[in-house]
Amino acid sequence: MNRAPASSLPSEDLLRAGIGEAHVAGRRARARARNLAGYVFIGPWLIGFFGLTLLPMAVSLYLAFTDYDILTAPRWVGLENFHRMFMQDRRYLQSVTVTLFYVAVAVPLRLVFALGLAMLLNTNRRGVSVYRAAYYAPSIVAGSVAVALMWRQVFGTQGVVNAVLAILGVPRVSWLGDPDFAIWTLITLAVWQFGSPMLIFLAGLRQIPVELYEAAAIDGAGAWARFFRITLPLLSPVTFFNLVMQTITGFMVFTQAFIVTGGGPMDTTLFYALYLYRRAFESFQMGYASAMAWVLLLAVALCTAVLFKTSGRWVFYEAKEGR
Amino acid sequence: MRGHVSRMIAGTLAWMTVIAGLGLAGAVHTPAAAQSGGSGAAPVELRVAWWGSQDRHNRTIKAIELFQKKYPNIKVTYEFAGWGDYWTKMTTQAAGRNLPDVMQQDYAYITEWSSRGLLASLDDYVKAGILDMRDVADAAIKGGVVNGKLVAVNLGSNSQCWVLDLDAFKKAGVELPPPNWTWGDFEKTAMALHQKLGISGMGSGVWNNQIWGALYLSAGQWRYTADGSRIGYESDKPLVDHFNMLLRLQKANALTSRADELASYNQETSVELAPIVSRKAGMAYFWSNQIVAVWKAGGGDERNFVLHPLPRVAGGKSANYLKPSQFFSVTSQAKQPKEAAMFIDFFTNSIEANEVLLAERGVPISSKVQQALKPKLGRSQAEMFAYLDRVTKDVQPIPPPDPPGHTDIVKNVFDPQVIDPVAYGRLEPEKGAALLRQEANAILAKAKR
Repeated sequence: MNRAPASSLPSEDLLRAGIGEAHVAGRRARARARNLAGYVFIGPWLIGFFGLTLLPMAVSLYLAFTDYDILTAPRWVGLENFHRMFMQDRRYLQSVTVTLFYVAVAVPLRLVFALGLAMLLNTNRRGVSVYRAAYYAPSIVAGSVAVALMWRQVFGTQGVVNAVLAILGVPRVSWLGDPDFAIWTLITLAVWQFGSPMLIFLAGLRQIPVELYEAAAIDGAGAWARFFRITLPLLSPVTFFNLVMQTITGFMVFTQAFIVTGGGPMDTTLFYALYLYRRAFESFQMGYASAMAWVLLLAVALCTAVLFKTSGRWVFYEAKEGR
Repeated sequence: MRGHVSRMIAGTLAWMTVIAGLGLAGAVHTPAAAQSGGSGAAPVELRVAWWGSQDRHNRTIKAIELFQKKYPNIKVTYEFAGWGDYWTKMTTQAAGRNLPDVMQQDYAYITEWSSRGLLASLDDYVKAGILDMRDVADAAIKGGVVNGKLVAVNLGSNSQCWVLDLDAFKKAGVELPPPNWTWGDFEKTAMALHQKLGISGMGSGVWNNQIWGALYLSAGQWRYTADGSRIGYESDKPLVDHFNMLLRLQKANALTSRADELASYNQETSVELAPIVSRKAGMAYFWSNQIVAVWKAGGGDERNFVLHPLPRVAGGKSANYLKPSQFFSVTSQAKQPKEAAMFIDFFTNSIEANEVLLAERGVPISSKVQQALKPKLGRSQAEMFAYLDRVTKDVQPIPPPDPPGHTDIVKNVFDPQVIDPVAYGRLEPEKGAALLRQEANAILAKAKR
């Protein structure tokens, strides 16, 4: 960007006779210095990007086609890792099923919850900011080990949930040990961590002009009609953003299962990322794990692409329509 | 404007200097450390790594301080981690040719690491007297010998055990089983404890893959063939019978259910959460050195535990063997191999050091150290020493180290695809045992390639 004006300057300068070359050189130097400053500032990021992102990605792409246990050199095996993944590894298919189920259930639930809370908190009553902060708090510590450990206690055999159920006369349930329940404790945890989509929804809600609601109310629209005819359509870009972001994080869920259930019982909470980690850092099958990582990347990319493709049908951009 | 530019350049230079400085610092450091090997008085830096609990970290660090006091020219830098992270870390360091001088090793890994040339032979140091093994019984050394070379020094002897809660047995009026008890006796004992006290007769650990090994060891076989290329037994029946017995106990509530075990106790490290600790079970399976943690978590002196050998199959041999709980090895990438050997010698023979370590890694291998420690032991350590004395009278030779595919088999087949489904009643024991054989053979064949 800086180059263009710098190179066009000399001709102008030559027209204005009498102005010395020193001036031109000065400008050039200044432009160069500006460029240099730019590079210096993004330097750390560039180093990080090439050294810590691009290079490892390239290496992992190569490793995906090898058998590599870290201690001995990688051995080229072609497509064997992928063949094993889809044709032989039952646990892999289990992890795919579990992850898809989790994304399909936890993400919509979390969004519904986030939107509901955002609407409740979208008032100007006194003290509402305290509630906003309180409801956002679980998300600040969202992926954290501390919350997961607490969840383990809450749903443990001797945990709070069972204690409350006992008072109600419901028999004790092994929430984390029962293959039918374990995944639901993690989904509950995910729904509870609705803070960041809630904040984004809240910001979106505050953008909707109040006049629209007033006009609709005068025309006799009820609360439901206002919600479905005004709030949802006008909020759809925000919803779309939240949906994409939450879907992507949903596919990458790891910490919760790693700590709360360890992937068990019977692999019913064996999320994709957890299984990948196990293969890479417990079984030291780096080649296989790399192959898994690339399949995940492609799957998430595909999923996001599908969301974008279908978004035209339900996402309403005010600016575009108003043109 | 000019000032602005020069400031910019100055800033850039400063930034580059920092980077260059970092690089230089790294460059200067390494040769300095490498040069000083060999001669006794020159300052030497020694790197040591181990895995373990917080208790072990504290004790080991104290012992390291004693070592530095004895050899003021040696500065020990150390790193430690939990079991899983430790191996991730060491494997990565091995790939980066950056292994520490001394690393803790495990019986399951020494063959693999040694065959890849990552562990140095210690025989020369033993011959030279730097590593003094004169007070160590041959049986305690043997576990660290791979292909005729000593590559690892045992830090403590261990054996598997049944921990029995004496108070529970007394209260229930159930007699202690004889040392050569069978799985049938075990079933009756567990049922009796449950019927009299309402607690689980057996708490945690009985689904552990070690029991799978113990079953076949007791039947005079082993779970893998000697060359580790496939499953080593012909008949699945002992395993199937065993599963059926556990399912009977679980159904009768005489065994802590698999669901409860996983829900409260799915991390191998959390000994504190085992049902026997909170008096919810009368028996539990552990490695003998773990009794120290169990006893402490259970309330210390108010509790009374006794360690008992593993049950046998009917008419079978002892299911116990002495296992080196862990080793110290000198790595082939060590910069200070001689000082590393001196360090291991200190852990093996120094009474002062072992008074700090206090058999936390198992019963020390030097007979002199054992004698010196005996009067200083707490009740849990004393029971561990006494148990090893008792069990040594009837043990089998240690089975060969597990083949490279073993971890894969346990983590990806045995626990998730066999034990869990069988324990939850969603897979018939026969099918579970057959699946284990099929999948294990496939993994072993692949690992052998």
